[in-house]
Amino acid sequence: MPAWGPRPLGDDPAERAAIPNVIVAIEAILRQPRRMMFQLRQPGAGRLIAAMIFVSVVCSLIYGVVAGTFSGGTQLWAAPVKIAAGLMISALICLPSLYIFTCLSGSQARLVEVSGLLAGLLLLMTILLIGFAPVAWIFSQSTESLAWMGTLHLVFWLVATLFGLRYLANGFSHSNARSMAGFYTWVVIFLLVAIQMTTALRPILGTSETFFPTEKKFFLSHWGDCLNLWDGGLKSRSRE
Amino acid sequence: MHPPSRKLNSHEIGALLRGDPEIIANWTRQWCPRRFVLHVFVIIMGAGLYGAAMGWWRDPEQALYVAIKFPLIILLTTAGNALLNAMLAPLLGLNIPFRQSFSAILMSFTVTAAILGAFSPLLAFLVWNAPPMSPEAVSGPAYNLIKLTHVVVIAFAGVTGNARLFQLLAQLGGSRMVARRVLLAWLGVNLFLGSQLSWILRPFIGAPTLPVEFFRAAALHGNFYENVFHSLLQILQFD
Repeated sequence: MPAWGPRPLGDDPAERAAIPNVIVAIEAILRQPRRMMFQLRQPGAGRLIAAMIFVSVVCSLIYGVVAGTFSGGTQLWAAPVKIAAGLMISALICLPSLYIFTCLSGSQARLVEVSGLLAGLLLLMTILLIGFAPVAWIFSQSTESLAWMGTLHLVFWLVATLFGLRYLANGFSHSNARSMAGFYTWVVIFLLVAIQMTTALRPILGTSETFFPTEKKFFLSHWGDCLNLWDGGLKSRSRE
Repeated sequence: MHPPSRKLNSHEIGALLRGDPEIIANWTRQWCPRRFVLHVFVIIMGAGLYGAAMGWWRDPEQALYVAIKFPLIILLTTAGNALLNAMLAPLLGLNIPFRQSFSAILMSFTVTAAILGAFSPLLAFLVWNAPPMSPEAVSGPAYNLIKLTHVVVIAFAGVTGNARLFQLLAQLGGSRMVARRVLLAWLGVNLFLGSQLSWILRPFIGAPTLPVEFFRAAALHGNFYENVFHSLLQILQFD
């Protein structure tokens, strides 16, 4: 074992224990992330990755239903579909660049291992979102402000994503990468894509006559419009 | 030292991106037609996908044209300068045969094209989120953002490809000084030809007021450098 760098994966016998089902996978990503990373390097990791993606889709659908309760009606099915699809598409769009940055950093990780680490990020993120779901539901029943709920969901998503990214960074550091610069660049790209996805698939919280927006916008311009609406609403309420 | 490898596998592009100079130098020492085909395939796919994302904002037809033109520029630049680059290398102190200099340049373009291909979904997503191309959009922030993103991505891919080429040349020649000299010479001639080919094969992003076409009607009238010179004169108000 080298005296420098992270401890090699699998040096603890507990890390070498197989992950037979999704419940154990959820337990492992929360309590034994190194076990998950070790298993992603073993033959047959594809099944584990598929299970992780399946749980991520289910969790994001559940969180989506909670987000949809803010407006109710068609948003009860539209919000979960948009959240789950948006998350998966964001990951798919960013996977090639993550693999390229991994290789450029000198890492020996194969595409399947990189895909597994990304699936781990999604799994951890969506499990944490489920943890936030009761809080989000309470607020969605007690406020009518779209901007406030949007900000709240964004904060929950950001906290969950940071934990997911920490897992991914941990996995990245075990792949003999010479530098983390490429990884940090990719993190910025991933965050921008995921945030833009919420604007591209709007409305997720509010209501609309069409499933997709009729006007194309970048997220900063959309946020600016939302804040202006909120500000206008506050002013008219204070006048009343 | 690794023995020269004739074996070809799916991890080769990964190894190329990681840039282990010793392994890659061994690849250039022996001609392997299958490896050559793989590298040309990566260039066509990677640069083609990126080109499609670039032209898509104007029109799907423009996307198809740029998907053809982008890899074409890379392949024509490599082929057009192959002889000159092979002559420059020994003249500047790197005694390698034609086959090796050609393979080295092709590999650096393969790295560049693989990076461009990996970024193409991101560019396509950016274009999908932009308002449709119109005279107003072209003067707005969306156009500037798309242009700036293209500049950053292409510059990153190009610099990375050349950084890998430099490592390979230093391994082949055993001297960083010689590698720097050869790289600068190759860069100079490749940029010279590549710029003119890009000029002939314009448009890439396209313009809302001009028709979608493979070549502009004036494709072969004037050249890139003449145009730059005229622009400079206009900036300095000599015209």
